Amino acid sequence: MSLHDPVPAPEDAGIQIRNLTVSYDTDRGRFHALNDVTLDIRPRHITGFIGESGSGKTTLAMAMMNAIHNPGRIDGGSVLLEGAGDVLRLKGEELRRLHGRYFGFVFQASSNSLNPLKRIGAQLMDLGRSHGVTDLRALLREAKTLAERMGMDGDRVLTSYQHELSGGMRQRVGIIFALVLKARVIILDEPTTALDMLSQQAVLEIVRTIHQERGLTTVIITHDMGVVAEMADRVVVLYAGRVVEEGPTQSVLRHPRHPYTRGLIHAIPRITGNLHDVEPLQGTPPDLATIPTIGCVFRERCPIRAPICDTVAPTPTSAHGDGIVTCHGVDQHD
Amino acid sequence: MGLINMIEVRGLVKTFPARGGLLSQKAVQAVKGVSFTIPDAGAVAFIGESGCGKTTIGRILTGLETYDSGEIYYNGQNLTSLTPRERQERLRKIQLIQQDPYAALNPARTIYQTLMAPLTWEAKRQQKNRDWMERRAREVLELVGLNPDVVLGKYPHMLSGGQRQRVVIARALTVQPDVLVADEAVSMIDVSLRLGILTLLQALRRDYGIALLFITHDIAAARYIGHDGRVYVIYQGEIVEQAATDELIQSPVHPYTQALLSAIPVLRGLEQPGPDRHIPLGEFALAEGNGCRFAPRCRFAEQRCRDEKPPEVAWQHEEHRHTCHYPTPRRVVPEPLEAKS
Repeated sequence: MSLHDPVPAPEDAGIQIRNLTVSYDTDRGRFHALNDVTLDIRPRHITGFIGESGSGKTTLAMAMMNAIHNPGRIDGGSVLLEGAGDVLRLKGEELRRLHGRYFGFVFQASSNSLNPLKRIGAQLMDLGRSHGVTDLRALLREAKTLAERMGMDGDRVLTSYQHELSGGMRQRVGIIFALVLKARVIILDEPTTALDMLSQQAVLEIVRTIHQERGLTTVIITHDMGVVAEMADRVVVLYAGRVVEEGPTQSVLRHPRHPYTRGLIHAIPRITGNLHDVEPLQGTPPDLATIPTIGCVFRERCPIRAPICDTVAPTPTSAHGDGIVTCHGVDQHD
Repeated sequence: MGLINMIEVRGLVKTFPARGGLLSQKAVQAVKGVSFTIPDAGAVAFIGESGCGKTTIGRILTGLETYDSGEIYYNGQNLTSLTPRERQERLRKIQLIQQDPYAALNPARTIYQTLMAPLTWEAKRQQKNRDWMERRAREVLELVGLNPDVVLGKYPHMLSGGQRQRVVIARALTVQPDVLVADEAVSMIDVSLRLGILTLLQALRRDYGIALLFITHDIAAARYIGHDGRVYVIYQGEIVEQAATDELIQSPVHPYTQALLSAIPVLRGLEQPGPDRHIPLGEFALAEGNGCRFAPRCRFAEQRCRDEKPPEVAWQHEEHRHTCHYPTPRRVVPEPLEAKS
């Protein structure tokens, strides 16, 4: 074992997020992108973060890794990572090593996160070197095996430049980068947006298999309820930087308690069933500059708005067995 | 006569020439003899994977790409026999809406300026004045459900993705098009706003008789542009199956159609997978030889499929057509669970 790899990450890397608040400094003022988020990410589960653009799902994932950069700032809260303590207290080299040991992040546009001037293999070796991997050959062997398991020709992938690979292949290369360092927590940001249905299923299938095989803690960030429904054990619904509902996926899909979750589910174009059962979500996605600062953030778009929503922000209440919902109106429904 | 076919395409072929470089050393035939019709105010969807040639067909129809052979009839007139200039003039009435509303609008122009550019041409053509242009700009924005007072002075970055796509549609409407070609027009838009755009396209069709060619990999979205729609399934530049939308969804007979439909995510808790669901995970390989192009990926392929190219034939009735030696209807799409358990 190399000097740079003192303690291996524990098998079960659960994450406890407490009262996490993140704000962004813009020329229109300082806005909260996350507001008092408390959440447990369970080990060996696939957790889906769902919400529209601007709901804070990517910010939440970045804050979990203490990777919020200027003009963003973590204002408060804690992120307890099993075996590593509070991630928000780490910085510099310590934090960088923790990232390499624990986290694998697959970026939204994987084609934009690869270096166009270097072959995939060379980029993998850079990754290994920067995280103190001594046996680079083993790293490449591992990458090749992963590529082959994903239905690609390993040698071809490693000797290719990114432009020589299709969109679906590049997305899979992104996943290889996240997995070769034996990360315990894999975060995928919109892993299948812009892929066609068959490539999407291929990518999801690989994620599911490797998640189970390695007993990972996996987070999928998406605005597509279909992806969450296929993949996630638990779903976290975010709106304007707040968790509005959380629970086991099937229960949330079947009996959504929050009007926003209901709206998201009803807005999905479905392949069977009555066309008229589907209706668009009212209003536009939240804009950090215009969301209300007092009362419920969703009230402008809410079909069950009540007077209390204008003045008092709802607090999380228990729902779906071990989940939560944040709405004044839950008792009136189901 | 019953239906008037606004657009009729026969045996369309397009080959992209060989270029230098590592990848494209062979000429690629992107469209291999495709025939279809778009009825007056009709709704037609093309579905298939990335790279199947569906976008190329849309670009040919809108005059952005040339074609090698085949015939395109537009309102009964053969476009192939026209000069390029005359052809371009006709094709102006067929407008393309592209996938990415972020790239389709000039970031340095306000929405007002964006709409005025095509309106200036229209005004010249129809000998109208500036007032007419201003009125028309407000009109098209209202048609797509935007408030002109709010939107006209804004730049694209000040609008959400869904609003931008509406502006793109408004711009296409300035020329009073006969046909809108929507190429993955909703795939980059938040799921919550997709339905709004789909309903808008549906309304344009119903209220103004604008025909729609909907190019997508998301067949569920294709259902929402009209009840009487028709779907063409394209694989490697050829149509492998075609039928009325709901018939194709409920009883697809070509294994490729079945693969595409199987790949639709199942909303667990609300739906269960179709009993015959099967998703092939292999890479998209260009087929060689004389047989069925899908045979290398097909789990039902027999020797005959590799040797002999299947012709296009009807299944049960003339409107449902396919190219498979062993057509078998299978139930692959997600099925709704009972309302409450």
